[in-house]
Amino acid sequence: MSRRLDFFYDILLEFDQPVRGHDFVLRCLPPSFPGQEILDVSLALESYAHFALQRDGFGNLLQLGRIEQPHDHFRYTVRGTAMTAPALRRPEAAHPIFRYPSPYASPAPAMEDFLRALDLPEEPSARAWALVTAVQGRMAYTPGVTGVNTTAAQAFETGMGVCQDFAHVYLALARASGLTARYANGLTQGEGASHAWCEVWLDGLWTGIDPTRGRWTDDSYIRFGVGRDFGDCPIERGVFLGGGGQRQSVYMKVTQQ
Amino acid sequence: MRVGPVFFCSERMDATVEDLVKNERLINQQLARYGVKFGIYKDGVFQERLFPFDAIPRVIQADEWATLEKGLSQRVRALNLFLKDIYGPKQIVADGVVPEDFVYRSPNYIPQCEGITPAGGVYSHISGIDLVKGKDGIWYVLEDNLRIPSGASYPLIARDLCRHCSPETFRSNPVVDNRDYGELLRRTMDSVNTGGINVVFSPGRLKGAYGEPSYLAEKCGAVLAEAGDIYVRDRVVYYRSTKGDQRVGAMYRRVSDDFMDPLAFEPTSVIGIPNVFGAYRAGNVAILNAFGNGVADDKGIYYFVPKMVRYYLGEEPILSNAPTYLPFYEEDRRFVLEHLNTLVIKDVAEAGGYGVRFGDRMTPGELEAMRLAILDQPRRFIAQEVVDFQDLPIMDNGERVERKADLLAFVLSGKDETVVWPSGLTRFSRDPDSFIVNSSQGGGFKDTWILSH
Repeated sequence: MSRRLDFFYDILLEFDQPVRGHDFVLRCLPPSFPGQEILDVSLALESYAHFALQRDGFGNLLQLGRIEQPHDHFRYTVRGTAMTAPALRRPEAAHPIFRYPSPYASPAPAMEDFLRALDLPEEPSARAWALVTAVQGRMAYTPGVTGVNTTAAQAFETGMGVCQDFAHVYLALARASGLTARYANGLTQGEGASHAWCEVWLDGLWTGIDPTRGRWTDDSYIRFGVGRDFGDCPIERGVFLGGGGQRQSVYMKVTQQ
Repeated sequence: MRVGPVFFCSERMDATVEDLVKNERLINQQLARYGVKFGIYKDGVFQERLFPFDAIPRVIQADEWATLEKGLSQRVRALNLFLKDIYGPKQIVADGVVPEDFVYRSPNYIPQCEGITPAGGVYSHISGIDLVKGKDGIWYVLEDNLRIPSGASYPLIARDLCRHCSPETFRSNPVVDNRDYGELLRRTMDSVNTGGINVVFSPGRLKGAYGEPSYLAEKCGAVLAEAGDIYVRDRVVYYRSTKGDQRVGAMYRRVSDDFMDPLAFEPTSVIGIPNVFGAYRAGNVAILNAFGNGVADDKGIYYFVPKMVRYYLGEEPILSNAPTYLPFYEEDRRFVLEHLNTLVIKDVAEAGGYGVRFGDRMTPGELEAMRLAILDQPRRFIAQEVVDFQDLPIMDNGERVERKADLLAFVLSGKDETVVWPSGLTRFSRDPDSFIVNSSQGGGFKDTWILSH
């Protein structure tokens, strides 16, 4: 099972007032690893936005930059082609950090109670799946209720959220139940916005599981970053002087060749 | 005014110390002018307090210091190797010497530091090791400070003033000169500098101990900077100067990890430098101390430091820890629960003398609550036997009294050498019943004399 996918990802940040001294970190380029080969990729930024490339401790690709002069918008556009073939994944060691609670994915006491009330199977992959069912039973996909800083505990309490919240709730529960699990984000085949899901470490393989859509991931997913939770791999982070309000428009499209 | 016998040494020494005691008020006035203060959070409000100086020095004999020096250097070398291992191959965890839980579950372990080896391979360049001398004559390490140990400027300034008030005291006593701290600091920074100027990076005047960064910057010949003076471009750190922008090769920062880079850590920080972590990751700047050191100096990991010395250096530890029990281990837990009323219980998440409880001062109700807390979260606590430490004389309203005191020793580690500064910060408790000498809890300080023979 493999696919050749063309991807396009376009983000526009607009500021009410011009900003300057704008430092940013992007994680908007998918890396290559066994199971995902990036055949071709380009990142277009404003000509005055100089950036350098780096890899972080999780293996994510970083684009670090700074824009000195005043500007009223910030746009980045990624285009490329990926060959996805989950069957080519290779066993690897998992960092112990993915077994413990993390800032955005810590279980609240209510979540521990919830977990205790579940009759989870022993076998790890069956347990990973049972937790997807449990999260789906508890959470309703509801845009506009949560923000980027919503924690698993908060999302769990309201029972509402978007893909990032589903992933955090899933991770907090999965780790508390003894699984090794991490956060993943990127694009999926189709059109719309970027997506977040999880990976569970099963038999030495990082295996994608999507608690929002209630499915295992497959070759229609292109991964950008991984981390303990959202905080380790946001696609864009920036600080600047000035500004006021800002609006973000996102558009992505992934098509099979 | 008679100070009374302070030393095992000569009568003559006592006479010259009296000279200092006579000038104590004057010295304290000068210290206040220098801004020798520390910051304290009380009821959530930040306050600055004067740090009172007591003129009777603590005296450490030459042979005693020689042992301390070896022990401190050994301990810091092991701690640096531990940090390199934890953010690299993790051999000590694989070999079962330190349980994984104490490393990767620590809030002070920073996963972003994985795989980064800082310039020169040094993590803790400036280490503050907190010791007390027991009534048994043995020095015990109470705590390692590998993040931003502060306070070296206090004894430096005080020594200067003492020399000024009574030059005779220092002519007639074989006190090792400690005025080379700035030079040691400069050498340490130079040894790991990646090319560029040395900078002392301060959190700005609104945070605690503002005086110290500026004082140390002057002493070590580095540029003093704060947020806004420094920026990162293309993974290189620059200082905006009147002569144009200059590349920064080493930065002694007095801002904690969390606030150093809003793009890598706490996003709301306005006292940090965006993308400085990227420059550090790229190896383009030395950060003193390196990021992520907290994993080696939290109260939970302290228990394992003597084991690190044996593991990394193949040597017996020269310095002792205070006898410590980890409720994490079942056997220790049983002991702690049985002897709760005689032990000191420390919450590993707290710092600065907070979260320290003495079993013999807790009510039966408090003891029971503590017992339940330990059973519920054994990993959160350590328990120590109370070290009965030696008292030092201080002058209290013209009267000579004895008080508990500790010693914060400063160890400087560069690329090729680990040097113990022949001085240190001796802090004492004002409260005769208190064992807590941390400056955040009130109290004062003394000069520390290391005798050359």
